[in-house]
Amino acid sequence: MTTDVRKQSAGRTKGAHSFRKFQQASILILLVALCVVASFRSSTFLTWTNIVDNLFTNAAAIGIVALGMTFIMIGGGFDLSVASTIVVCSVVLVMSMDWLSPQGAAVAIPVALLLTVLVGVILGAINGTLIAYIGVNPFVVTLCTMLIFRGIAQILTGGGQTQQVHDILLRRRFDWFYDAGLPLWGGVGIPMPILIFLVVFAVGIYLLRFTRFGHYVYAIGGNEEAAWLAGVNTHRIKALTYVLCGFTCAIAAVIFVAKTETAGAESHMGKELVVIASVIVGGTPLGGGSGGLTATVIGLLLLRVIDNLLTQFNIGPEYRPVVTGLIILVVVTVDVLAKRRGST
Amino acid sequence: MLSSDDLILQMQGIVKEFSGTRALDKVNFDVRCGEVHALIGENGAGKSTLMNVLAGRFHDYQGLITFEGQQVRITNPRQARDMGIAVIYQELSVLGNFTVAENIMFGDEKSGRWTRKLNRAFINAGARDIIDYLRFDLNPERKVNRLSKARQCLVEIACAVRRKVKLLVFDEPTASLGSEDVDKLFEVIKDLRSRGLAIVYISHRLAELPIIADRVTVLRDGRKMGTKNIGECQISDLTRMMLGHDLVEVFPEKTNKPGNVILKVNGLSRPGLFENISFELREGEILGIAGLVGSGRTEIVRAIFGADKARGTVVFQGKPVVDRSPYLCCSLGIGMVPENRKQHGSITGRPVSENLNISILGRLSGVFGFQSSRRLTRQAKLIIEQMKIDPPLPHTDIENLSGGNQQKVIVGRWLAAESKVIIFDEPTQGIDVGTKSQMYRLIMDLARQGRAIILISSELIEITKLADRILVIRDGRLVSQMHGAETDEDSLFAECVRKDNPE
Repeated sequence: MTTDVRKQSAGRTKGAHSFRKFQQASILILLVALCVVASFRSSTFLTWTNIVDNLFTNAAAIGIVALGMTFIMIGGGFDLSVASTIVVCSVVLVMSMDWLSPQGAAVAIPVALLLTVLVGVILGAINGTLIAYIGVNPFVVTLCTMLIFRGIAQILTGGGQTQQVHDILLRRRFDWFYDAGLPLWGGVGIPMPILIFLVVFAVGIYLLRFTRFGHYVYAIGGNEEAAWLAGVNTHRIKALTYVLCGFTCAIAAVIFVAKTETAGAESHMGKELVVIASVIVGGTPLGGGSGGLTATVIGLLLLRVIDNLLTQFNIGPEYRPVVTGLIILVVVTVDVLAKRRGST
Repeated sequence: MLSSDDLILQMQGIVKEFSGTRALDKVNFDVRCGEVHALIGENGAGKSTLMNVLAGRFHDYQGLITFEGQQVRITNPRQARDMGIAVIYQELSVLGNFTVAENIMFGDEKSGRWTRKLNRAFINAGARDIIDYLRFDLNPERKVNRLSKARQCLVEIACAVRRKVKLLVFDEPTASLGSEDVDKLFEVIKDLRSRGLAIVYISHRLAELPIIADRVTVLRDGRKMGTKNIGECQISDLTRMMLGHDLVEVFPEKTNKPGNVILKVNGLSRPGLFENISFELREGEILGIAGLVGSGRTEIVRAIFGADKARGTVVFQGKPVVDRSPYLCCSLGIGMVPENRKQHGSITGRPVSENLNISILGRLSGVFGFQSSRRLTRQAKLIIEQMKIDPPLPHTDIENLSGGNQQKVIVGRWLAAESKVIIFDEPTQGIDVGTKSQMYRLIMDLARQGRAIILISSELIEITKLADRILVIRDGRLVSQMHGAETDEDSLFAECVRKDNPE
């Protein structure tokens, strides 16, 4: 369907639209170019360990949240509270599992997972209700819930103590969500986080591209008032994007807990910015209406590869925020400039 | 006749294109000092575009502009302002949180040399001078957002006069004013004229022209149809010039037959906007709602459609519709083509097929909400063919369509949804005559098929030619009902502006 859209509209689309495609293509090209440079300059870049373990596996959890965030941002919204939501979810996950450990892994793990997902969904629903049904500005709402959710995590952990499942066997069992994987040839395999990411990605693509919900999300980002007057239940759809994002936060929490075996109220500081940055660099505009999940994945990978390159070249972590900030700034500035040229 | 020396402005052969469509086609226009020159035409005729050229909103127009005997090219708003051209738009551009004086003196403030403290005494005194000079009844220290719309308009005029304006353009100033305020505004305009200012007065209310204008220029579809002295022409001549000679052919024959009551509105009220509106709508009926802009007509239909909350009941097919929302109304079979196509109609950046199908995606989706793009395209093609949407490409972005075709897409949305009641709010605003007549025929066809239509229009002729019954709304109240066949444009207009308590 997409190719046929491009063909038919290519002659008629105006600057801004063709530019959007150009931008997405150029970021992909930049990504490939960086990878090529990296593989020439560094012997370890193009190794399975570096690509799969360092690049993808580390990015998988954040990537899942970025997928949820993409829904929100295509619908014209915004969510600053994702990192705090992850923290609450992981604290709930660890504490409930610890509490249930006498019941055995067969009970403790599923119930804890269910509880975690429920918490993620509820936190998303709180954001969604305030933003979509009551109409408070998403920036304000999620700035407040960012503080509140982290505060809740601190209260739950009795002042920010790092939580751990005391039952070592149960802890090892739960690590399955990070350590397991799909074995391929020659002793290598696809790690669990990537598998989970791929599943979420597939479901996300289906939701966004092939269902009424997805169409509505784009329509709301395109012109919310018009969609409302066309009989779309815009409140519900908008609220659902936040619920969806809360759900992805819960999944990310599962992966993080499986990786670190702990949960702390002070972890994941600033992750919301990485998530938002991936979505923006990928090409989903603030204000919504266009963009997509693939774009977000490319944006995330670009940020990861740059990060990875900085490590490979032994550039200190103190430079990373500057580099990341500059990249986002360049992408957004170029976007604004090109749009201005397209409109005159 | 005045000599040509008095000409302050001459525009010759002005051409302005918007992505291929000509909004202005070699228009000539001139204004003398000390005259009120009315510029009239239908919506989309090019009046505002012409004035926007003058105000420096575009830099890519063609043609010559001579201002005060000097040939100029106006490429930005600042230049226009410095030359002494000011436009007072319908949407006023006063700063609400500032006082009257601060607004009038904006950009000309004085502050203390070292402290950089604003010199309030200077601002208030300066504003007071201007207000006294114009003999306006304004308190310089009042916040502007606490003034009525008419007073705010005076503030804008004072601001322009302070900037030594020579040519003042009014863009449909009376569209949102009550009749008393209109009289006051006319006094002000006449006073400005006697002070030697040149005034351009844009309107599509023909009845007010003999009161206010000296000359009148008519635009139609971006072309100038002629300029006349107001004493030498009849309103009916102007109507013909505005609409074209094929006035009768534009409208289809009335072929619809009203049947059973399908929609009943009872005591609909929204404080400050409209009060106690009750009426019935029948299947196959075209119900016209006439009234000035700001009379509450749009707010009434929005309330029926559930876009705004209001008191009162709406009964659809015998069942009261409680907790109305567009979402609910749409699923019941009520549709609305909103007034402002760009803001409320088109879902920008999305393809035509989605814009057409947005209201029926639920009906089109399969298991797990699966949306087959082939089914969407097939459904879109059906409507595109039926509505003769051009270009007939379901996957092109709706923004690539002309205004008229975008409007067809939005109407097509409700055809696809098979709505039983369709509300049209200014359906022909800003679309060309050809598409207009298609729109009229479509509305008539829909009514003949038994759908109930509510039609709002500022072009009163549309209402008189199409509607079976006409509701006249004035200041938020339903003041009279008229029969379409027995009403002509002039008497309908008189009813729309009639004062309740004649002095």
